[in-house]
Amino acid sequence: MNRRTFITGAFVSTAALAVGVNLSTSFTRQEHVQSSHRMLFATLIPIFLDGALPDVATHKEQAINRTLNTIEATINVLPQEQREEITLLLNMLESRFSLLLITGSLTPLILRQPFELIDMLESWRQHFITLLNTAYLGLREVIMASYYASPEHWGRLQYVKPTFVVGDN
Amino acid sequence: MAIIDPIEVGLAAGWQHVDAGFLDKDKHFDADVVIVGTGAGGGTAAEILSQAGLKVLMIEAGGLKSSRHFDMEERTAYPNLYQQAAAMKTADKGIGIFQGRTVGGSTTINWTTSIRTPAPTLDFWQQQRSVSGLTTSSLQPWFEMMEQRLNIHQWDYQPNKNNAVLRDGCKKLGWQHTVIKRNVKGCWNTGYCGMGCPVNAKQSMLVTTIPSALNAGAVLVSRAKVTDIAHRQDNVTSLSAIAQNEFGQPTGVKLTFSARHYVLSAGAIHTPTLLMRAKTPDPHLLLGQTFLHPTLLSGAIFDEQVNGHSGAPQSIYSDEFVWSDGAAGALGYKLESAPVHPILIASKTIGFGESHAQLMAQFNHLQVIIALVRDGFNQDSPGGRIRLTDNSFALDYPLNDAFWQVAKRAFKSMAQLQFAAGAKQVLSMSDGQSMVSSLTQAEHAIDNMEIGLLKTIVASAHVMGGCPMGEDKTQAMIGSNGQSHYLENLSVFDGSMFPTSLGANPQLSIYAIVAKNATALAKKLIR
Repeated sequence: MNRRTFITGAFVSTAALAVGVNLSTSFTRQEHVQSSHRMLFATLIPIFLDGALPDVATHKEQAINRTLNTIEATINVLPQEQREEITLLLNMLESRFSLLLITGSLTPLILRQPFELIDMLESWRQHFITLLNTAYLGLREVIMASYYASPEHWGRLQYVKPTFVVGDN
Repeated sequence: MAIIDPIEVGLAAGWQHVDAGFLDKDKHFDADVVIVGTGAGGGTAAEILSQAGLKVLMIEAGGLKSSRHFDMEERTAYPNLYQQAAAMKTADKGIGIFQGRTVGGSTTINWTTSIRTPAPTLDFWQQQRSVSGLTTSSLQPWFEMMEQRLNIHQWDYQPNKNNAVLRDGCKKLGWQHTVIKRNVKGCWNTGYCGMGCPVNAKQSMLVTTIPSALNAGAVLVSRAKVTDIAHRQDNVTSLSAIAQNEFGQPTGVKLTFSARHYVLSAGAIHTPTLLMRAKTPDPHLLLGQTFLHPTLLSGAIFDEQVNGHSGAPQSIYSDEFVWSDGAAGALGYKLESAPVHPILIASKTIGFGESHAQLMAQFNHLQVIIALVRDGFNQDSPGGRIRLTDNSFALDYPLNDAFWQVAKRAFKSMAQLQFAAGAKQVLSMSDGQSMVSSLTQAEHAIDNMEIGLLKTIVASAHVMGGCPMGEDKTQAMIGSNGQSHYLENLSVFDGSMFPTSLGANPQLSIYAIVAKNATALAKKLIR
């Protein structure tokens, strides 16, 4: 699958280091982020959500795009300090020098094989350096929360909200 | 079925509501009493003071959202109704904190659990924290008054399966358990309390005291964040605020407020933060000591469907382990259930990839118990400390060895309870843990678990303290009546007044103590 097919629109600048939540689609985008961050998330989403994403390729692509859009919206509502933290993290993950320091390799994440990314995340998860634990948890939370925010992704959960209340939404 | 939205009806009838986000120029407001915050404390005070004939103005940083906005989706509720879009954490990211940020405050999004202040807590405050006049007997009429006002009654329906596990496990083990009282009227038992009640059954401040205050002529200014308290000698002279847009960002419009008396009800983080930023007197450095009931989670898989998203989120609790060693003794924990919704569970569980997907695939078979650790009662549990940052605040809350020791005990208790109730598998929410199939395996795994910061999931929905009450100025910022020890026309009416955590869900304690103190304040102001 070509990861670049997921780069479908303007993108916001960061991902949440401390997030757990998402924004209604009724909100307007306030700022736009480098497309490279969208590529980065498009690379990591299939790793974090392996086993959860749809099996059919087109459905999978749609699910990833929805998740990317939700991540974008999530970041827009975070307080400034959290947004700055996330920007810092994403910039580190896109800088070859930082990547060398924190992963031991100059290869950009978007060019790495899935097994290499899994090893990297497992290493951060277990690492004695708090910064790496935090990076793992931040990426995990924003991706998991953004994926499961969408009703389109609740099929495997067999979770539906009640439909007997009529409102504006 | 269409639901009548009482907020829409009230606004149409002429309530005085100013959405600061839409103001295009600076504005000044005058009132007899200005209340900052509209949660449990602010809402209760607003009703009492306005009905006493005082001109009341309420300021709320969040927006005015009501049942027509409550679509039962986390993706809408969290950014619209929660502080920091429900992403608030302690400075070291060790504890995720859920707190409301909307008209009605946390009462708009809480799970309706209503518990009177435990007697050991009141006794401890009186004996160790110089609190006066707040005893079980002196508070009884205020509890009764607020229970009647908010229709707080024992939940007499069958608990949902998520809570039935807690009840059944306790019964089998002979552990104490109690049926919870809830502030609901005509509850549809849907289970979406945490996203705002879509049918206005929850008797939150949003649909009770705030409408009552507005009917009595009070003014509500929403999306206005108070940023400064001007004070001279022993008095507050005015408040300053900034208007905010839908995203919580400043619009550039500035607001000022003058009143005879000022009430801070901005919650246990923002009330002390505001006082600190305004450099109000604090000679004993008491502002900002915060308690959280840091909470552990244990998941269990049952053969039968649990459907933890459906039905009253909390209807049973157990105090078996809260006070085992007395208030000042070893840390204790309260056992409750937590509702199961996709974002909440996906983000508060562990792992990624296939293992996480497998857990989520068992979503409707997942049961969740939480253990809330009472904090602030001894030196092993000093709580956290708020500090100012350039633009905001940070909460330092070190999780120490004493906490991790009680966390292991809590994980064992939760696993024991879940297996006793028939769980097939149990998972302690701490990284590195796997599903286990027996209590023996669970105890072995917990004994050997690599427990600690950023490994173990810790959350909080109860922020308390930060501006403690009491008569001894070396221990307290405000009197037991909520009156500031340093500023004559300032009161604090919210969860920040608690000198320790409560050992119980806080809303009813805030209602009753504020009702008592606001009634006394009204009498004083209308003399």
